Amino acid sequence: MREGVGALGDRIAGGLLLVVAAVAWWLSHDFTSGFGQAIGPGAFPRLVSVPLGLLSLYLIIHPGVNQRWPERSALFRQLGLLVLLMIYAGLIQPLGFLPTALLTVTLMIRLFGATWRQALPFGGLLTVGLYLLFEFALGMPLPDMPGLNW
Amino acid sequence: MELLAFLGQGFVVALEPQHLFLALVGCALGTLIGALPGLGPVNGVALMIPLTFNFSLSATAALILLVSIYYGCMYGGRISSILLNIPGDEPAMMTTLDGFPMAQQGRGGEALGLTGVASFVGALVSTIGLVLFAPMLVDFAIRFGPAEYFALFVLAFATIGGVTGGHLAKSFLAACLGLLLGTVGIDAVSSVPRYTFGWYELYDGIDFIVALVGLFAISECLVFLEDSHQGRKPAMTLGSALPGVRTAWHCRGSIGRSSVLGFIAGVLPGAGAALGSFLSYTLERRWQGARGDFGNGDPHGVAAPEAGNNAAAGGALIPMLSLGIPGSGTTAILLALLLSMNITPGPLLFENQPELVWGLVAALFIGNLMLLALNIPLVGLFARVLRAPGWFLMPMVVMVAFVGVYSLGNSAFDLYMMLAFGVLGYVLRKLEIPTVPVVLGLLLGGQMEYNLRRAMSISGGDWSIIWNSGISVGIYLFAIALLLGGLLFHWLMKRRI
Repeated sequence: MREGVGALGDRIAGGLLLVVAAVAWWLSHDFTSGFGQAIGPGAFPRLVSVPLGLLSLYLIIHPGVNQRWPERSALFRQLGLLVLLMIYAGLIQPLGFLPTALLTVTLMIRLFGATWRQALPFGGLLTVGLYLLFEFALGMPLPDMPGLNW
Repeated sequence: MELLAFLGQGFVVALEPQHLFLALVGCALGTLIGALPGLGPVNGVALMIPLTFNFSLSATAALILLVSIYYGCMYGGRISSILLNIPGDEPAMMTTLDGFPMAQQGRGGEALGLTGVASFVGALVSTIGLVLFAPMLVDFAIRFGPAEYFALFVLAFATIGGVTGGHLAKSFLAACLGLLLGTVGIDAVSSVPRYTFGWYELYDGIDFIVALVGLFAISECLVFLEDSHQGRKPAMTLGSALPGVRTAWHCRGSIGRSSVLGFIAGVLPGAGAALGSFLSYTLERRWQGARGDFGNGDPHGVAAPEAGNNAAAGGALIPMLSLGIPGSGTTAILLALLLSMNITPGPLLFENQPELVWGLVAALFIGNLMLLALNIPLVGLFARVLRAPGWFLMPMVVMVAFVGVYSLGNSAFDLYMMLAFGVLGYVLRKLEIPTVPVVLGLLLGGQMEYNLRRAMSISGGDWSIIWNSGISVGIYLFAIALLLGGLLFHWLMKRRI
């Protein structure tokens, strides 16, 4: 069985979702109805935000079980992955696929637990392999490097 | 017989070389993805969707490819369950209970052969069930108006929680969150932007596929980073899978019973394969009683859940194709594929595009045969994938997700959106809030709202139309019955343990 931990997470999530429901309800009144419609664009979001709010309240009062949250070292690895992928998203258009992927894939392999001796060759291998697979075998154009055709 | 004529036409479609090729690719790829620890059918199909769009395949071809991957993943899931004790996803969990002990006793090959046959029978039974029952459901559903469809959506959401178990309120909460996220973007009826906060990227709404890949694939990578699976290697020698075929004959009763049970579980909206394998295993354990040696590598306990979950996978296609209501995460993705190709599943699909429906069904029969061939003699090949280290596989998954999603709209915004959904999916999983209802809400919200508004414009704003017809009242009652049944079931299970 998975180990359960305290219900604080559920309470916080319930609180956040309650705010979401309230904001959704509030904003839905601005969606002004066009003429000739039985119910306007705001009705359905309102209809959904009511049970969302009630269920969030219930979750705050009757929280359930949460899974164990990650340890600090795991949290850093996860943050690292997210930062890495945001860098990829930011660089893919200006730099093109090959340099961006080479950088991120190599660092990602390192992040997932390989040594540098493994990460460097396999990062290159995976990048080139994926490039050949997508660009040529599957015919999906990838962003090119500036000034080059590949 | 009319049915056989349709099926015959379907085989003509499915036997076209391109379709045969795609079915084979899908089956092999699906088995491969399913065999990877931690990656189940939902992830597999989600990853492949963006790629499918790029090939500009016809709807029939794309559907055949993805459904072959779906069936393949259901087959492949058993490999990591049996050899590594790591289920690829929830439905494969029950297979670990007796499958891993069998592997530890050096009967891994036999277990794989046995489950290969069990999977084949389960999938075959449910595909036959699909042929028999989907047209019946279609005949019934042809009378549905918008109010009845609205009721049907309520049914789908009401039953998600009842059967997936756990904290019921959390399932509903997840569904509401998904429905609300589904309203983001320009309203199709009135052209009013909703919850876009001035971001023009949000005007088209949240792309379902971007959200999906984030919720499943990216969050899976985040979970993976938490505890590295390193050091878990398939230790034992496999041995031949062929003796498993004889064992399967020995377990034919278990396989038959579980296939039927799994099929029924799959047809129920919101239930799906996890329930199918769970029920099959539990029933079989009671059936065998003292004769069985469950938990210590009893072949019956390996055959039953595998037959059950493969049967459920086929059964889950029935509500998706005939009503347009998916019962599981994976069928939701298939529905999304159809919707984005401007094909609306439902009764009309069977009338207007029989070649698509019956071509798909025939492809399932053919794919199932291919899978049997791939999974018994060649299973050792797939088992070898398990030796590839996680640090190589996971970055590959991430890159396929990133390249696929980027290619949808050539926009970096989609990538950031996918990451945001990845974090959301991870947090939800930690909170034990199921992510499948979020996906269903996001996907079905638009249709649900559309039907509600059409019903309301028919009635001139009178809300009573929602519960004014016999059929919709029947659907609501059915929803309540399923909900109570699910609650009762969980209460009984809790008392047992």
